[in-house]
Amino acid sequence: MAIEYIPLDSVPLPPPSATVHTTGCDYCIVGCGYKTYTWPVGTEPGTPDAAGNAVGASFPGGVLQPWISPNEHNIVKVDGEDHHVVVLPDFDATAVNIGGNHSIRGGTLALKCYNENSPTADRLMYPQIRVNGELTRVDWDTAIDVMASVSKHVIADYGEAAWAMKTYSYEFFENTFAISKLAFAAIKTPAYSPHDKPGPGSDTAGVSDAGIVTFSASYQDWMEADVLFISGADPFETKTIQFTQWMMPGGAKMIMVLPRRSAGVAYAEANGGLFLQIIPGTDALLHMAISRTILENGWEDKEWIDEYIASTWEIGAGMGRGTRNTPWQWRSTWGKIGAKSYDDYKTWLLENEAASLEFASSETGIPAEKIQQAAEMISGGTGPQPKTSFGFEKGNYWSNNYLNTASFAAMGLLCGAGNRPGHMISRLGGHQRGWIGAASYPRDKSPEKLPGRRKLEIDLDRWVEGGNVRFAWVIGTTWTGAMAASQELAATFRELTTDNPNQITSTDKQDIIDTLIARVDSGGMVIVDSDIYAVEPMGTEFADIVLPAAAWGEHDAARCNGERRLRLYSKFYDAPGESQPDWWAIAQFAQKMGFEGFDWEDDNAVFEEAAKASRGGVLDFGVLVWDAKNRGIRGHDALGELGTTGIQTPVRMEDGELKGTLRLHDSTLELGNPQGPTVQSKWLTHFKSHSSKALLITSPWDIFSDFYERIKPDPDKGEYWITTGRINEIWQSGFDDIRKPYMEERWPDTFVEIHPDDAEKFGIESGDNVRLYNDDVLIQTGGFNRVESAEFSFTWLMENGHIRIGSGEVEAVAIVTEAVFPGLLFTNFLHPSSPANSLVHRVPDPITNRYRFKLGKGMIERLGESPYKDSFDKMSFAPRDVAP
Amino acid sequence: MSEPTKHIPAEEAAGCAVDPAATDPATLENALLSRRQFLFGASASMVLLTLPAWMRSPRLGNQMYAQIAEFPRQRIAGLGDLTVGESVTFTYPWDQRQSTNELIKLGQRAAGGVGPDEDVVAFNTFCTHQGGPLAGTFKADVGVAGPCPLHWTTFDLTRHGMVVSGHATLGLPQITLETDSDDIFATGVIGLIFGYYDNRIDPAGLGG
Repeated sequence: MAIEYIPLDSVPLPPPSATVHTTGCDYCIVGCGYKTYTWPVGTEPGTPDAAGNAVGASFPGGVLQPWISPNEHNIVKVDGEDHHVVVLPDFDATAVNIGGNHSIRGGTLALKCYNENSPTADRLMYPQIRVNGELTRVDWDTAIDVMASVSKHVIADYGEAAWAMKTYSYEFFENTFAISKLAFAAIKTPAYSPHDKPGPGSDTAGVSDAGIVTFSASYQDWMEADVLFISGADPFETKTIQFTQWMMPGGAKMIMVLPRRSAGVAYAEANGGLFLQIIPGTDALLHMAISRTILENGWEDKEWIDEYIASTWEIGAGMGRGTRNTPWQWRSTWGKIGAKSYDDYKTWLLENEAASLEFASSETGIPAEKIQQAAEMISGGTGPQPKTSFGFEKGNYWSNNYLNTASFAAMGLLCGAGNRPGHMISRLGGHQRGWIGAASYPRDKSPEKLPGRRKLEIDLDRWVEGGNVRFAWVIGTTWTGAMAASQELAATFRELTTDNPNQITSTDKQDIIDTLIARVDSGGMVIVDSDIYAVEPMGTEFADIVLPAAAWGEHDAARCNGERRLRLYSKFYDAPGESQPDWWAIAQFAQKMGFEGFDWEDDNAVFEEAAKASRGGVLDFGVLVWDAKNRGIRGHDALGELGTTGIQTPVRMEDGELKGTLRLHDSTLELGNPQGPTVQSKWLTHFKSHSSKALLITSPWDIFSDFYERIKPDPDKGEYWITTGRINEIWQSGFDDIRKPYMEERWPDTFVEIHPDDAEKFGIESGDNVRLYNDDVLIQTGGFNRVESAEFSFTWLMENGHIRIGSGEVEAVAIVTEAVFPGLLFTNFLHPSSPANSLVHRVPDPITNRYRFKLGKGMIERLGESPYKDSFDKMSFAPRDVAP
Repeated sequence: MSEPTKHIPAEEAAGCAVDPAATDPATLENALLSRRQFLFGASASMVLLTLPAWMRSPRLGNQMYAQIAEFPRQRIAGLGDLTVGESVTFTYPWDQRQSTNELIKLGQRAAGGVGPDEDVVAFNTFCTHQGGPLAGTFKADVGVAGPCPLHWTTFDLTRHGMVVSGHATLGLPQITLETDSDDIFATGVIGLIFGYYDNRIDPAGLGG
């Protein structure tokens, strides 16, 4: 689709009669507050005096005053009639994006709305079945009938583990509640996995095991901090308003740990901060060396440690937290991790050669003096102790999951962080928090097991590759592109679906059902894909049935942001065609299957049922709905009354007042008298462990080092680290961005950053097309039922033939820049036509089953010039880290 | 010399359907051209483009129309007065708030650049994120404006003000230029100026 972007020089002002709704941004974790203004086409537009328009502002306004960019306007249907829509950051916001601050993503939300005269014209409108290779329109009833018939056969003949779901975990409570009710309560299948990992469970187990809920902090904590230690993300790029609204104004000195220099790094360096440019995969060594430097110098917060770190007795009495109760059994690693006390941890660290400054410096690539400087900054050294907060994200936990998170938490705890204002340890976040589970994942049915007795959640990708899945319902994710060794995984899908001889050739319903059952019985797989666009290759190639989803702004829905702030995301325009919210499609299917409890009337009915399931959890809003019922109003309406401010979960009713919870583990929080279904969990005021105290978890390097040594790029072979991440202008797979002409002009293609020294070797200049390829992609094929503790090791997997070698390749437009160091390439993580995860090994962290997405490698070659090299029309090759 | 080109871009781009109310024949005329041709000064090459389906306007047909507003031509500086990296400040198209611009010789070829090296460009100096002041931040060596002191947005001065990194929902408005002997003239504005709802309406007349 060729898109020509032309900037406009005028925009219609919403008239005072415009309809106004509040909502939140559909994109990143920050969840800025927005308002939508809709009014019929043909109505006289507003006037530039404040009384003459619905924004209530004078035009032209000045700096920081309300303004409407032409890219904040669109035309949509409301009740079937053409309406103008303007989507603006809430200039009256009292939370998150106070004063109307916004990112480039949220600022262009209007362009994501369906408009048949725009690049969104290819929205999925109707249910479709692939007949003779072509998606063919059918009615909902036919599609659901086929799904139910095939599903019943699969479950009866092959068991519920052959019936799989792969779905987003965040696209609103109403949908995820329905998903989990179907998968875990009705079907009871263990073959489920969220969009960004091979199976359910904690993403940041090392932090959780320390007693810390990973979204414990409030944005206010970033502002109150004196020092911020930021690991594995540049919040400027990926959670923009956390950075520009809550970190920059607070004036904290920022320590940024990243392999690549970006705008946030430039800001940090220009404002007294420190850039620790790290070699991918080595964060645990950095954390340990910093912690050791602190302990060797006596810079730790001794008083705080005495009060808040669990003692030997508290752990040894069986009150430690973990999958077993003592450090010996911790996480079923049998003596590998877990300290018995602070003193035990200290001894372990001081005697650990991997924690030495010399080793850490050589492996991380960070000069020893910078590591020491970081230790001094976060602890205060010999001076007064600063308020230091610790924020981390995927560069940290998606490279060496357990060890990085465990060592990160320990480093923060030694500095007295985790339970007080400005002094927190928290994830920074990716997507928003939109999961409410209707039931628990049936782990007892999982085909995977840790050493000892404990079951491990499934790795759904290997389960598919093993030929164990006969029916899969994919909702709102690319699946293959989002997972490691993407092209190898896609090849398996192709073999099980389009390459199977049983293909639909008739529009007769019974013929379709018979064909798909024959597919299933021949060892193949049937796929249903629910989405807003037909994504490659799942929707365009593999799926037999494609269902159209109604999305943001097209139905009422709710979820939380990165400080657990719950808001209503209002419907403000018509969903296109026959598209329906995913909960509705699930309800139709579940009822056809004969399951009870899926007869919801509307979005609000699901929300109110989800409220009950949320009770006692981090996202608890049970009492909000209880209070609404007492007031005789709907739950959604009660939430809507709170506008863009919303309320921070867990929501409490105390002394007659509905209260939000600013931060978790808050030692300064005074709880009132609980009312109604309020749950005052102990982790509101204390750490989330059996003893209510925090734990120091050890992070032995040898759990990881054999794998790491194997996957380090070989310079003699011409291999480079290829690591990935997000940039400000592109959200996830770019499903909206490639349809926003303004964004498409900026990024008409994906990119790879390469250092000038490396570029010179290949004659690569900015704007050249290059190919990235890896012929050494490691894929785990066995060893999922572990018995002995040795089976945790990569060496054991290799020796026992459980690793096969695959390949992957992608193309990108080169940007030659010193932002990356020689030997490192950086590219976008999820471009639809160039899935960089194809270059990433599929050998999950043995403790947590989490992929090491950031540790890709490969070779590079120049293909020629891209159209953007000299066109001046699209794509910029200017540096992104320009300082004043 | 040829007639000065004073172009305001098409209303039906950016994925938005045509808003009939925004097209006022009294103040606009329509011209047929692509922005690239326009930016490189091909004022004589008015090319009719066949548009993809989504860009076609029910009212205007399947041709791309660009708006042309009648801003008076204004002399900014002489080519011979310019030094690489140094800016000349001027107001245009109005003598009002947020109409302050900088002309800069970048020393590298740039979209819409004039002069023998096509390296002289001019841009508005108010950030199209929240109006932060960009005056004095134009950098010839990297061809970038910014970072904006408010939230660190940067713009590519060689790519008609496209956002390099940051938050603006519109590129930095570019002042279109033409030369007559040594004289550099401002002739138009591409993109809505921060704070404005219509570049063609003089704020002085609004009492604002």
